[in-house]
Amino acid sequence: MSQLYYDDVKVDDEIEPLERTPTTDMAIDFFGRDNPTNPAFSDIEAGKRLGVGGALVPGLLKLSWITQYVSDWAGEQGHVRNLRAAYRRPDVADRPLILTGRVVDKRVEEGKNIVELEVATIAEGQPSTRANVQVELPARG
Amino acid sequence: MSVPEQSLITEEHRATIGRKSDPVTVVISEEDAHRMRDVLGDKDARYADGTGMAPPYVIAGMGGGPRRGMPQILPGGLLTQQEWKFTRPFKIGEELTAFTQVFDIRDRLGGRYGYSVLVTQGTEYFDAAGNHVASAMITITQFDPKSQRKGDE
Repeated sequence: MSQLYYDDVKVDDEIEPLERTPTTDMAIDFFGRDNPTNPAFSDIEAGKRLGVGGALVPGLLKLSWITQYVSDWAGEQGHVRNLRAAYRRPDVADRPLILTGRVVDKRVEEGKNIVELEVATIAEGQPSTRANVQVELPARG
Repeated sequence: MSVPEQSLITEEHRATIGRKSDPVTVVISEEDAHRMRDVLGDKDARYADGTGMAPPYVIAGMGGGPRRGMPQILPGGLLTQQEWKFTRPFKIGEELTAFTQVFDIRDRLGGRYGYSVLVTQGTEYFDAAGNHVASAMITITQFDPKSQRKGDE
């Protein structure tokens, strides 16, 4: 993991897209097999009853991937501070998601170097989740 | 269920807005952090076993989270909005105190269900010294699955 510095980030910089394919096993294992979760995460029929068209991908799993995606981009001295996500369309398990990200602002707030990104998960060419993420980066020197 | 003639949000539901829950104690467990890292394939050395640190997304599995005690007005529910804030990193083994409250309940007309109810609820997590560590907020769209528009199944 390479380190990113506030000084080197520019508005409109893009994060390299990353593909992830959520599965029903991931959805259950993420929360722990002994913990109760929404039946629609593992049961295709329960997902269909919700109108999803298959097993539902948990929003918490997607937001966790987004956190990891931005965190990996920022490097070990970067810290994700805030994520705000809108789930535009439900995602169905076993269909690939592409994570994309773009820098939309950078500013110093109370002495902290804040970079703001728009991140999305794209399914079948359409954004299914849109998120605004604030990350704190170190400065050079 | 078709669109109701009046809101299904009662005074009892509205009375829950702003009322803070009793505190719930949650512990950041190494086992949970390890399992979640494995599922995501997270190789970030900061959170490796033995570092004493947990990745921020462990908040997704914390007990006492923002769904706790949410008013259930309609039988179906989908997560439509979510926010996480982190004041500082989580430490493995630390005990946090969680308070949850409803922030908003509102009707929504239109969309695939015709009528739905949006409930926004949040949880704040504090450490043993009373310092804020993190918060999680969600908006759940509650609906009656039977009222889904044809063709959206």
